[in-house]
Amino acid sequence: MLDTEKIRSEFPILQKQASGKGFVYLDSACTSLKPKPVIDAMNAYYTEFTACAGRSVHKFAKKTEEEFSVARRKIAKFINAKPEEIIWTKNTTEALNLVALGFPLEKGDSVLTTNLEHSSGLLPWHMRSEKGIELDFVSCNKQGEFSLEDFEKKITRKTKIVSVIHASNVTATVSPLKEIAKIAHDNKALVLADSAQSVPHFPVDVKKLGIDFLAFSGHKMLGPTGIGCLYARRELLEKINPLVLGGSTITDTDLHRHVLADVPMRLEAGIQNYAGAIGLGTAVDFLSKIGMENIEAHEKELSKILVEGLLEIPNLELIGPSDSQKRSALASFNIRGMEPHEIALMLNDKNFFVRSGMHCAYPIHKFLNFPKGSVRASLYLYNSKEEAKLFVEELKGIAKNFS
Amino acid sequence: MVVCIVALLVFAVLSIWSAKYRVLAKEAFRCVTRMVTFRPCDVHLETKIKTKVTSKLMFLPALARFFYKHFKIISWAFTISFFASLAYSVYSIYNLIVFGSCTPGEPCVITSFEGLCILVIEQYLAYAIVAVLAIVLIYFLIKSMMKKKK
Repeated sequence: MLDTEKIRSEFPILQKQASGKGFVYLDSACTSLKPKPVIDAMNAYYTEFTACAGRSVHKFAKKTEEEFSVARRKIAKFINAKPEEIIWTKNTTEALNLVALGFPLEKGDSVLTTNLEHSSGLLPWHMRSEKGIELDFVSCNKQGEFSLEDFEKKITRKTKIVSVIHASNVTATVSPLKEIAKIAHDNKALVLADSAQSVPHFPVDVKKLGIDFLAFSGHKMLGPTGIGCLYARRELLEKINPLVLGGSTITDTDLHRHVLADVPMRLEAGIQNYAGAIGLGTAVDFLSKIGMENIEAHEKELSKILVEGLLEIPNLELIGPSDSQKRSALASFNIRGMEPHEIALMLNDKNFFVRSGMHCAYPIHKFLNFPKGSVRASLYLYNSKEEAKLFVEELKGIAKNFS
Repeated sequence: MVVCIVALLVFAVLSIWSAKYRVLAKEAFRCVTRMVTFRPCDVHLETKIKTKVTSKLMFLPALARFFYKHFKIISWAFTISFFASLAYSVYSIYNLIVFGSCTPGEPCVITSFEGLCILVIEQYLAYAIVAVLAIVLIYFLIKSMMKKKK
């Protein structure tokens, strides 16, 4: 059981008001709020030891280098990987692009993905398919659940990569990565997981899952924007062609040739986002101190209140399974007769902050016949049960009056 | 969509005094620009205005509901009456400049100070009310016809 009040006290933004009133933040699937230790850690880099890592030899540079590598170790430990298996990226999008555009595939090879994907997990494959890579899709069921049956039908010996969203940002369903990885490996295919909505919310162990690539963002897990990670086993990272070359990516160069550095350096061109990495390392400490199992249990409780409350509202169409235990900590929905943006704006007027629209996931909205998208309320460790109940009550009023 | 045109003019005037309205004026401008180039408005200005006013009317849920359900027709009514009054104002100003009176041959109804006429309110109101009533009537006629068809 989480002490929500204590946790909330660590978030400076939650001590403030919006337009003179308290607010309920239900948009953590878009980006999470940041606790004071993360903000302080980032500020410390800018106010106490600003420098470049791995270049200069002075004290500030050494301190930056140390903090930067400590952050990498923390991230690696968080997902049960080795530090050299972690590549710093801007975000999940860049990490997914790095694999989709940099991993060597030959003409005629096939990539299998799903209709649940976020644009970041789909569009890079569109680019790759223009160069002769075949693209095929596993279709989820009407509850938005990954279909292992369809997956087994679609995977072939030509499939080289299975690219799958771990936790959907629309349907709230969680893909069975372990089973997916087993089937993929039996077919000699690799698995790339978009874990932007899973790593922040429940324990993720890359070794137990048996996946090959995993991408996630810092800003959805209490960290700053502009920092994310790609995990891959060393031998796979070595195969990826860098998309950007520059400082730190080589060991030697002359006017016509260069020698690439070892991984992870060769995939991290130029000066890195040191403050971001240090901030993300602190965010991981913050989450680990609370315990990812505890966060998951807390979110399940909130999700139960939210989902059960939403299901009571007539004219409300909930996307995804109605069993809250099968869902991650978000709920997308529509109210018949109203547009998603209208609902979100009405909620905004009452200081409930949610997201509306397509959530960068057009195919799944089209598949579920919601061409205008949906409203999404997403929860995190700092949300309380009272907030979930208040939100449901507010929504009941809106549905009663306007649907 | 039409409400963007009115919003642009209204917010443009209001933004002279308050920065708060400049953002809305910019959004309205973008909306109008897209409308005249046959592209859909992508700033959700209408939705923003609709939900903002609906929220403000929530002290009377029935009124808020009425406004929400009939926003389209209400915005059309406002737009037409706005342009009708604008046209009539221009006509009156023209008369004032050319003939020295808003309604040549007749005395002005409202004067701010001696000799200067601002608007012939009686006529303006009459036109506006007739326009609004006509629109509301047409709206309900069309609606009932559509229902019959179904």
